Amino acid sequence: MFFRLLMESFRRQRRRKLLAGLAILLGTTAVTAMLALATTIGDRIHNELSAYGANIVVHPAADQLEVKVGGIDVKPVSGGAYLHESDLAKLRGIFWANNITGVSPELPLHITGKTASGADIDATATGLWFDHPLSSGGGTPLKTGAVLLHPWWKINGAWPREQATTPQNAEAALGSALASRLSLKAGDTLQTGSSTLHITGIVSTGDASDQQIFLPLNAAQQIAGTPGAVRRVEVSARTKPEDAFARKDPDTLSPKMREIWYCRPYANSIAYQIREAIPGSRAEQVRRVEQSEGTVLKRISGLMWLISAAALLAAGFAVSAAMATAILERQAEIGLMRSLGASKTSVALLFYTETGLLAIFAGGLGYFAGSGLAAWLGSRIFSDGAASGSVLIPVLFPVVVTLALLVALAGSTPSIRRALTTDPSTILRASV
Amino acid sequence: MSRTLSMSAILRRSLVHRRARSLSALIALTVSAAVATALLTLYADLDAKLHHEFRAFGANIVITAPENGKPLPADVLSRVREAAGSDAQTAEFAYAVATTDRGTPVVVSGTDFAAVRKLDSWWQVDAWPSPTDTNAALLGQRAAQFVADEHNVQLTFDGHPITLHGAGRLRTGGDEDSRIYLPLAALTAWTGAQPSVIEVQIPGSSAQIEAAIARLQQALPTVKVQPVRQLVEGESRIVDKTHALMYGAVLLIALTVAVSVLATLSASVLERRRDFALMKALGGSQSSLMAMFLLEALILALGGVAAGYLLGSAAAWAISQLNFHTATLPHLGVLPIVLLLNILIAALAALFPVRVLRTLEPAALLKGE
Repeated sequence: MFFRLLMESFRRQRRRKLLAGLAILLGTTAVTAMLALATTIGDRIHNELSAYGANIVVHPAADQLEVKVGGIDVKPVSGGAYLHESDLAKLRGIFWANNITGVSPELPLHITGKTASGADIDATATGLWFDHPLSSGGGTPLKTGAVLLHPWWKINGAWPREQATTPQNAEAALGSALASRLSLKAGDTLQTGSSTLHITGIVSTGDASDQQIFLPLNAAQQIAGTPGAVRRVEVSARTKPEDAFARKDPDTLSPKMREIWYCRPYANSIAYQIREAIPGSRAEQVRRVEQSEGTVLKRISGLMWLISAAALLAAGFAVSAAMATAILERQAEIGLMRSLGASKTSVALLFYTETGLLAIFAGGLGYFAGSGLAAWLGSRIFSDGAASGSVLIPVLFPVVVTLALLVALAGSTPSIRRALTTDPSTILRASV
Repeated sequence: MSRTLSMSAILRRSLVHRRARSLSALIALTVSAAVATALLTLYADLDAKLHHEFRAFGANIVITAPENGKPLPADVLSRVREAAGSDAQTAEFAYAVATTDRGTPVVVSGTDFAAVRKLDSWWQVDAWPSPTDTNAALLGQRAAQFVADEHNVQLTFDGHPITLHGAGRLRTGGDEDSRIYLPLAALTAWTGAQPSVIEVQIPGSSAQIEAAIARLQQALPTVKVQPVRQLVEGESRIVDKTHALMYGAVLLIALTVAVSVLATLSASVLERRRDFALMKALGGSQSSLMAMFLLEALILALGGVAAGYLLGSAAAWAISQLNFHTATLPHLGVLPIVLLLNILIAALAALFPVRVLRTLEPAALLKGE
């Protein structure tokens, strides 16, 4: 009997069920979409913020003092300490390796030589990775390099390829200011020592490096005569905004707290792990990028969470109002059932089951619709493709469905209670 | 006259007598108005708020001396301040290369500590030097390792020695780490170096920054004015994207609430088909009945807007206070949109069931079919 009533109610009152179901569906869609966006916004904004460059920089610990003004080395350091290029693969083995999204080693050097037309060249140069696969044995290599970490660099032509480096030849790109001073363009060649540099493109950076030559790292090491040497490494890592705990010195913490500190993706802990992984290195957060990113990230994701909370509240109100009306409409039915001898419990059970089924069904649908919507919105706005991981966030499913269930049940309770406490004859007389 | 009276009496009765239903409709309309008000108020203020947060990144325009080696003109800072506007932050820097007491060359930079402190909020400093100490110095954390005594820093420039009172270390993770900073007046008196770089921060969108660059270039035709490209590009990208995200969220939530409200309201109207039938049977014209339903919905909608505007403005204020630590004051400008939205929802909710009811026969309805 109970099931027949249930079935018939769904079969016959399609309009009412549809409206209430639609309210729940839209409510859960909005809430799922907002929550899904709020949970992934950190990664997305980090991707956008990577436009500001690296947030961790690694030097040799025993480095000499740089004498740099406005990005130009006034007294270029000769000799000094280097990091080993081969050690960089160890970055892929640290605890937060998956949070490292970009690695860009640099080797500054000085190049003197002649252009094809015989003009003298005396310029600074930097050896870089442009598109280098970084892997530590197994796993898919991380394609990374300076281009990725400096999205504001614009090239006219092609980036130099490191595979093209041979003992006599290498590819290179020129900074725009240097190129116009020497009136060189893509396709020209330069002679330095025993190597010929083939210019593949002209780079505009908008800062002092417009005066530079950009070389593949292996070519720079060959010209400088320092195989495997790296002066400085820029690392871009996804981090958690710094809080008071992040600023603690791990060596003063108790072993348990130190473990917690170590296992949080703070810029400080990632830098600490890099220092551990690369011998003789000194890793530090670039405070201009890291601190400011933290602020912006906190604000934007805070905004998303607060709006999600507002969406949750509004959807909750709207759904419970819709449910209340849906039950209120059926007072006559309740009166009839009661006058035919149905107990209060069984009537309440019937209505709660109906509401529950509706909530679970519409809530489940809303979860999928919301996930799809979030993915669509996210990819439309951030155009980051697969970077944000899978579309469905399984954790949200039980959360959203439980919320839909709770809100729908809570919304219908006052109406059910009212209908049950009113004398059936009053209801029936009023509604006929 | 009597007709209006009876109309208002019916309306009042209908609203008061069916208190539960009126209340749930009023709550629904209040929620929709509150959500719309809160989101629109936040949305209206969003760009300004976000640009404010981006001030943390520091200077977005750099003014340098031209490449032909001429120094910046003497009154450049005041002219920059004048051209950049009152809400811009500026700081000037002069550079020289000195030698530490351990014989290491080091970049020394003269600046105004008060201005830098405001502009470069990411500088981590043990203690900012007091403004009265004319020989105070901040030591970059790497530079500090190349001086013998951090509190009594002995430097030489071209044979001229100077002793600075090290106030503390400076940590930035950038080039600043290998420099020593001192007040500009002290550097100029010691080395003769004049300011060669002025960093300027203009809050606002990339269009505003470009306009500021044009203004600066016009006021100072001989110097180089360049944007810090990654900051300007990154900022406008992120602000645009957050803006778009917010826009999506506003539409989504507004739609959800609107449909729920529509469901609630139209159900409560549809439920009254008996009233409708009775009135029709008693000779009420189609249009007067429609007008009654509409009027009732509009009264509820207006009540919802009044309560919802207050609630929504309060919610926007709370969210903004919580997240951005600055208040968002109620915007009167959003009121017409909210009003329009609510009236639209209410009117739709009232008219949609009326269309269904029109086809019904009063006699059949009244008989209870």
